[in-house]
Amino acid sequence: MKKFNPFTKKLALTAACGLALQVYAAEPIKIGVAVGLSGANSTVAPAVVQSSQLAVDEINAAGGILGRKVQLDIVDDASGAVGAQKAFDTLVFQKKVDAVISMETSAARNAALPIISRGKVPYIYTSFYEGRSCNQYMYVNAWVPEQQVAPVVDYFSKAKNAKNFFLVGNDYAFGRGMLDFTKKYIESKGGKVVGEEYLPIDGSDWTSIVSKIRSVKPDALISATAGGAPNVSLAKQLKGSGLGIPYGNLAIDEGTAKTMGDVATGMYLSASYLGNIDTVENNKFKAAMAAKFGGELKTPNELSVPQYEAVYLYKAAVEKAGTTDSAKVIPALGVVSFNGPRGVVQMNKSRHTPLSMRLGEVQADGTIKILETFTKVDPGNQCPNLK
Amino acid sequence: MILFLDIFTTVATLFVVTAGLMMIFGVMKIVNFAHGALLTIGGYTSYVVTQLKLDPWVSWPLALLSGAAIGMLVELSIVRPLYKRPLDAILATWGLSIVIGQLIVMTFGREVQFVDAPFSGTWPIFGVEYSAYRLMLLPAALAICLALTGLLNGTRFGVKTRAVIMNEDLARGIGINSGRIRFITFSLGTGLGSMAGALITPLSSVDPNMGLNWLVSAFMLVMVSGHSMASLLLTCLVFGTVQVLISTFLSPVLGGLAIAVLAALTLRIRPKGFGNG
Repeated sequence: MKKFNPFTKKLALTAACGLALQVYAAEPIKIGVAVGLSGANSTVAPAVVQSSQLAVDEINAAGGILGRKVQLDIVDDASGAVGAQKAFDTLVFQKKVDAVISMETSAARNAALPIISRGKVPYIYTSFYEGRSCNQYMYVNAWVPEQQVAPVVDYFSKAKNAKNFFLVGNDYAFGRGMLDFTKKYIESKGGKVVGEEYLPIDGSDWTSIVSKIRSVKPDALISATAGGAPNVSLAKQLKGSGLGIPYGNLAIDEGTAKTMGDVATGMYLSASYLGNIDTVENNKFKAAMAAKFGGELKTPNELSVPQYEAVYLYKAAVEKAGTTDSAKVIPALGVVSFNGPRGVVQMNKSRHTPLSMRLGEVQADGTIKILETFTKVDPGNQCPNLK
Repeated sequence: MILFLDIFTTVATLFVVTAGLMMIFGVMKIVNFAHGALLTIGGYTSYVVTQLKLDPWVSWPLALLSGAAIGMLVELSIVRPLYKRPLDAILATWGLSIVIGQLIVMTFGREVQFVDAPFSGTWPIFGVEYSAYRLMLLPAALAICLALTGLLNGTRFGVKTRAVIMNEDLARGIGINSGRIRFITFSLGTGLGSMAGALITPLSSVDPNMGLNWLVSAFMLVMVSGHSMASLLLTCLVFGTVQVLISTFLSPVLGGLAIAVLAALTLRIRPKGFGNG
């Protein structure tokens, strides 16, 4: 075999150049995104991925973070605990991401937190949830019941004279947590909860619950189901049975409401993000999304917009800390703010952020009419034991 | 009264969903684990009908035909070569369900889809207003049961099929083309599965996983019932009633367990299940 023939020489030279280039090019900042590409969240996951991609593309076009390019690592958590364990192990220990920013079910989040603690990686949770989840590496930029429930219950009590409420949910952390809080809030305002029923997280047969609601005859109905399929099947079965009472859905997002067509008409919801919020930031955001994704655009919604803002919050925190080192980034995350499509977001209230909440009603054409806006609603003292 | 309506409409739904699986299990002694995927195909057929702006009623026969067409392809390519290995055939149908699920995701996306229902609203019955569509499932289930029973008991094809069910080798010995019987019943079973998917669409959400929830219950029901449509109806009646009663008076979470637990108990006490052997 000829040694050092011209081809081998060229190969060696190319390899050496490649290595040199590696040394000169800066390591990208890796942001891990674990999201339910399959399972209960699979219907909203595409929008979440798009929001993340737009934020990263915009940041990279403006020079990246601290001069380094940002890279997204997207992993499927199957919308549940088992999948989240695999996803986070991959992100934290295999891909060694610098931060995890994700929208997940509460079951997935609870499974992920021990891995986050072991890996000591900053984690921004961008999904609304039942509250009181605390971890020294986690920040939350979406709403908690203290912010979301009050507008709905207050509106039903005042505008619809509702005294008796019926609560329906899926039997897991979010469903139980939301309805626990809702029950306490209703009772603190002088109302009464006349029924509380749960189905397993992937259940879709609400027959006996619908019949129970009919026999009890409440003034209003409030539900906290998992997103996607359980929401849709419950709404279809409620409508099918002819129930006409005011129905507040604590877990519906604009995109799902649109796909339900006339089944969703008349549903009440309370959200920190609605498509027709008329601000400069939201209009700019919507235009950028439409320009980037065109016909493939998945409607930005309550579950995908916080993801976009969270990437910018992470950028701000790293720039303030001057490094991606967790020990410095974590305190910075509690101080920085970002003015995005939902308004100003700053996670300075016990790892959570004050938000402007909008009470809306689904119209016959699928759009949401904003009935009232509540500004800077406080999340309350979610994590009294954390700095 | 509402409780009775709940029970009967649930029984009807269970029967409609399970009939197709029963046809295949009875004749071929294999459990078609692609049944959940077929339910999903039926749901998406309804979605296509909505997209093409056709009359929603078209979705039922269209689902029947598309399910049957898929069944014919599957029988020829996957099931027939595994004829002597029923356990491998079961595994193959499970793999098929995964493939079908992913094909649906690639074609339609993961989101929940909106589908027009043939009709909506409520009907007054025995003094209460009840979901019209649920009520309509009762005559639908009865019609399917009668049609299948008539097919099995009143036609030449039915006689040959029953011979194959009883003893396939002997049937082939007297000249019955059991391969053709298997082909036709498999296609009929998949067609029914797909049509059931179209039938339950107005009650559930149309997404790539819609059929999976039903698969386990359908499997349990088929295991316990015998080999005739009438015994399947009886099994659905008993198990469906227990499920609704537990869901209503105890909790829906326990109700979801009802069918699985009952199936295990029944087979323990009476291994022949509800059938006559």
